[in-house]
Amino acid sequence: MNMNRQLLQDLRTLGVVNAPARLLENILDEVGLGDLYAPLDTPLGQVFVAWNKLGVSAVMMAATPDDFEGRFSDRFSRRPRQAARPPENLGERFDLRSVTDFERAVLLKAREIPKGEVRTYAWIARQIGHPAAVRAVGSALRKNPVPLLIPCHRVVRSDGHIGQYALGGSDNKRAILAYEGVPVDRTKVAVL
Amino acid sequence: MSDEHSLPGRLAADLDGHFEELVRTFQDRLYGFTLRLTSSPQDAEESAQDTFVRAYRALQRYPKERIATIKLKAWLYQIALNVVRNRVRRGRLTQVTLDAPVSDSLASDAREDHPDQVVIGVEGQARMANALQKLPERYATAVVLRHVQGLSYEEAGQVLGQPVGTTKSDVHRGLRLLRAALEPELELDPVGEPIA
Repeated sequence: MNMNRQLLQDLRTLGVVNAPARLLENILDEVGLGDLYAPLDTPLGQVFVAWNKLGVSAVMMAATPDDFEGRFSDRFSRRPRQAARPPENLGERFDLRSVTDFERAVLLKAREIPKGEVRTYAWIARQIGHPAAVRAVGSALRKNPVPLLIPCHRVVRSDGHIGQYALGGSDNKRAILAYEGVPVDRTKVAVL
Repeated sequence: MSDEHSLPGRLAADLDGHFEELVRTFQDRLYGFTLRLTSSPQDAEESAQDTFVRAYRALQRYPKERIATIKLKAWLYQIALNVVRNRVRRGRLTQVTLDAPVSDSLASDAREDHPDQVVIGVEGQARMANALQKLPERYATAVVLRHVQGLSYEEAGQVLGQPVGTTKSDVHRGLRLLRAALEPELELDPVGEPIA
């Protein structure tokens, strides 16, 4: 190989370096964009909630703080730090950077559904201007990073079946709807 | 994958919402840059962190119009270079010997991720890194920007705050010095053709 070309190629290999994983977390912490988390008691039992400068970033079920940190890290590729308790204004603002614009529109529309009421996937699809995208609405709700706080559990199928739930499956969806006063039998709610 | 060219526009619209994207986009390159300048993983990490924090605070102050048109890559490298030079000036860099620590600082993960790019092995990389470190800072920085980090001459000139012609001259001079330092080990002819 030409000696000069080899020198340049060898120099290029010196630039192939991975930054330590903690670098991103340390930077975000120092500028106030890092995530904190704490346990939160809910009608479904204890969950973990994470938040940062932008708002609440995650609500997840987990057996232990370590388990939560692992799940959070797997989903968001950054590790949160434990705090004593959640902030007072929990649920006023959300960090929805992990979802697409369409998914964000779905989630923000779901947020408008009052407690004790339900709407259908088709209703959300119509409301956000994509009446044919009913399945995509369901997918977006399943990816809700902040279930309970953005009440995706208040969205059901047009035939009244309660459908999937991002936080622990349909049993939990039924339980939280019942807690909020929605008449629900084993699999269905009344859809107006 | 992040679109580097449209990132300034996104930062101008929502700095907090896209700053993490900025870090993810540039952290490996800037850490690699500070590692080559400092030869110490600890100093490199602290310098890279300081670089991004300074960048964030600057972007907080800048008007949106300025952020939207900023040449992010050259700007970030310029901040990193200033951070490292300030640390050198204040004596805040860890003292390293020129042998073992440099090979310790080479990225094993990177070697695994890019096996096709490994030409000279760990010992060869350490020799190359040591030879770079022994060059006068002016030439070493120019060579690192152009040939380790892969910046264009125009970008390297912006980082160094000097004309492209001067930058080319510094890079060529640095390569000649580097080749002279490595020639006995690489068993090269004493006189090589000019390096482009």
